[in-house]
Amino acid sequence: MKKIKLTVMTLAIALSIGGAFATSPHVTQTCQSSTQYYYNGSTYVLAGTAGVNYICVGVQGTCTYYKVGSTYVPCMPGAYCTSNCRTAPTPKTKN
Amino acid sequence: MNKRQVVLECISALLIMLFLYASVSKFLDFQRFIGEVNNQPLPNSWTPFLVWTVPSLEIAISVALIFERTRMVGFIASLALMTLFTIYAAAILLHFFEYVPCSCGGVIRKLTWPQHLVFNLFFVGLSVIGIILQRRRSFKSISITKNSFV
Repeated sequence: MKKIKLTVMTLAIALSIGGAFATSPHVTQTCQSSTQYYYNGSTYVLAGTAGVNYICVGVQGTCTYYKVGSTYVPCMPGAYCTSNCRTAPTPKTKN
Repeated sequence: MNKRQVVLECISALLIMLFLYASVSKFLDFQRFIGEVNNQPLPNSWTPFLVWTVPSLEIAISVALIFERTRMVGFIASLALMTLFTIYAAAILLHFFEYVPCSCGGVIRKLTWPQHLVFNLFFVGLSVIGIILQRRRSFKSISITKNSFV
């Protein structure tokens, strides 16, 4: 019984730590550790620090991009929002 | 090994995998995690506290769940933490905060907020089952010990 328990626990620990390393940005080279840019409609501009200079709101669209070589690749999902647009705009209706 | 013990071991293993994976992922890319916490609709002054407390708690819970003696504490702490995460996910979905942030954290980051809610609820359920089974097991072992003294 103890052997089974030990095997299950060892497997759980190994899988979780191994999984974390396997999906870590050092291995998969994910975007968020790279410099973030946002697209202002015509060009890519430095986004600044997440949560300080900007926030990504929602899940629709691309909030920030990162540079791979000379191309900009989508990184964070959502809408790029600077700190003065923290409050979600209320939809305006025309009468 | 009876059925209850097998279920208990499986629940513990699943919770250990969840917490250990989540905490190690956070520590492996700490800068990104700080950014993700900053992106949440919580005051940024909480960030230095949260970025250390959350992963440390997750590791502590994993360790508690490994050992038989501390498993009950581990299940209770797991229930408390997962309930907090679930309330937070529900609050976001109910637009309780000013905006809906990105959902973040390792592979779990790929989940949408409704998926996050279901995911969290599943682990809340597992923690509850764990507590019930562990309690029954403790009562059983206490009564066995008492009977052996009679």
